Amino acid sequence: MIRERVASAYNWFDERTAVRSLVRKGLYEAVPVRGSWFYTLGSATLILILLQLITGIFLTMLYVPSVTEAWASLEFLKQHDAFGSIVRGIHLWSAYVLLFVLGLHMIRTFFSGSYKRPRELNWVTGTGLFVLVLGMAITGAFLPWDQAAYWTAVVVTNIPAYTPLIGSFVRALWRGGDFVGPVTLVRTFGIHVWLIPVILFPLIGAHLALLRKHGEHGSYVNYLGAYRAREGVDVPPAPKQRPIEPPYPAAPSEEVWAAPLETEDFYPHQTFKDGIVSAVLVVVVFVLAVAIGAPLEAIADPSTTNYTPVPEWFYLPLDQLLVLVPQQLIGLSLVLPAGGVVVMLLLPFIDRGPERNPFERPAVMVPGAFAVLFVVILTLLGSGRLFNQ
Amino acid sequence: MGLRDPRRLSRRQFGLLGTQVAGATVAILLGIPIVGFILSPLFRRQPVAEATVGDISNVPDRQPTKFVVQFPAGDWTSAKVNAAVYVVRTGSDLKIFSNTCTHMQCPVHWDASLNEFLCPCHGGLYDMDGRNVGGPPPKPLPQYVHRLDGTTLYVENRFTESL
Repeated sequence: MIRERVASAYNWFDERTAVRSLVRKGLYEAVPVRGSWFYTLGSATLILILLQLITGIFLTMLYVPSVTEAWASLEFLKQHDAFGSIVRGIHLWSAYVLLFVLGLHMIRTFFSGSYKRPRELNWVTGTGLFVLVLGMAITGAFLPWDQAAYWTAVVVTNIPAYTPLIGSFVRALWRGGDFVGPVTLVRTFGIHVWLIPVILFPLIGAHLALLRKHGEHGSYVNYLGAYRAREGVDVPPAPKQRPIEPPYPAAPSEEVWAAPLETEDFYPHQTFKDGIVSAVLVVVVFVLAVAIGAPLEAIADPSTTNYTPVPEWFYLPLDQLLVLVPQQLIGLSLVLPAGGVVVMLLLPFIDRGPERNPFERPAVMVPGAFAVLFVVILTLLGSGRLFNQ
Repeated sequence: MGLRDPRRLSRRQFGLLGTQVAGATVAILLGIPIVGFILSPLFRRQPVAEATVGDISNVPDRQPTKFVVQFPAGDWTSAKVNAAVYVVRTGSDLKIFSNTCTHMQCPVHWDASLNEFLCPCHGGLYDMDGRNVGGPPPKPLPQYVHRLDGTTLYVENRFTESL
């Protein structure tokens, strides 16, 4: 009886919205069988960004973006609002975990060659998302207006000043004057809660739409190209694809890399793995939020002479560049990261060969591995400062 | 149809032109005030404020001494913000330094054991005369615009050279 009522209501709704085909399209897409634990990094990134959105929305219901009130409002939260403190803790720790998982997601995509035709724009939108998430992280770090936040604001807004010609102009634009002050905080707040998110979330939509258009690439072992090389047979098995919504086109020039040989349904096979990984990460974030929480140092004091500003950990490689780059070449600390982003954006257009197997494309893998190693080494070199106060 | 004068707009071209004009109008009417709003702090002058450091007759020779003054936090707020003032007396010469490092504007402090100003962020060093003598700082330590009335020192919320 109730089942029929529900089914009837669903039919009524479906007739007016076509929701059924949307759900089927969403759930029963074909994904490659092999390597699917690695695809959970993307969905985990999405879940963690949504966690940011949700906790961030609720944090605006207490936080006051003003130099006179910001620190006090968070101190009040810390003293008098246990649940609010957990919400802030989740916001901070899921941001940290997000940056880490996002990095793994990018490395996975890089090594599997998933950025190759026709997925170049998946990679380009992903690079844009990476930059925007870093922007969220750095603007978010200004907002508590404690000592850590204040000195992060001072140093970070000062970095653009080393851009030739327009440098001090850009710095004044962000600060709303020559020095960090009331406008700096409220501008950064606006950038953090509106300007970046209204670009970030539609871009996530585009990233996902492209993913759905081309399907998961997965691992090279799923493909005819690798199968031929591996098995030495010329007549390979036909792709065993699911009947519903196979997203894989057979691009004539790269037929052997167009569609995976064996696929399974997104639901429930991939959603199970996605769900497990995301749930574990959310539990980790929750435990960190409760056990450690989000720190709040003493209120910002520009006159301090005994405070040692320490960069956020995700910012360590950049800050270490500032330490290592000689005074005459200070522009390098801007050029290297900017150049890195440009190279990332261009990667799919530089590495255009069809080969997906990472061991068969050393010309890209070796410089890529060195780039990752360079960032890791800079982080390790700088990491002493996190504990050395 | 074939007899249409090519110099005249077709109905379709007219529609296209109208759409573009409408879109451009909206973009310009929104864009001008928004861009102006974003740029406006560049054209606002922060009012010069003066703060009293106090009597500096007791500041010892060749021993940088820190004072803390309060300046208006600026813009709409009536709040005050702290600023550190290092007074360095060398004989009859007086230099009034900020604690702002010229590298990344971190807070420097006088390190008596080094006999230099040290920036804790990236290891910048300045000697007692404010000269950048080590590490990444590109310029000497900034000095406040100041005046001395007898033995009472006043500083303004600006430096002798822009950072």
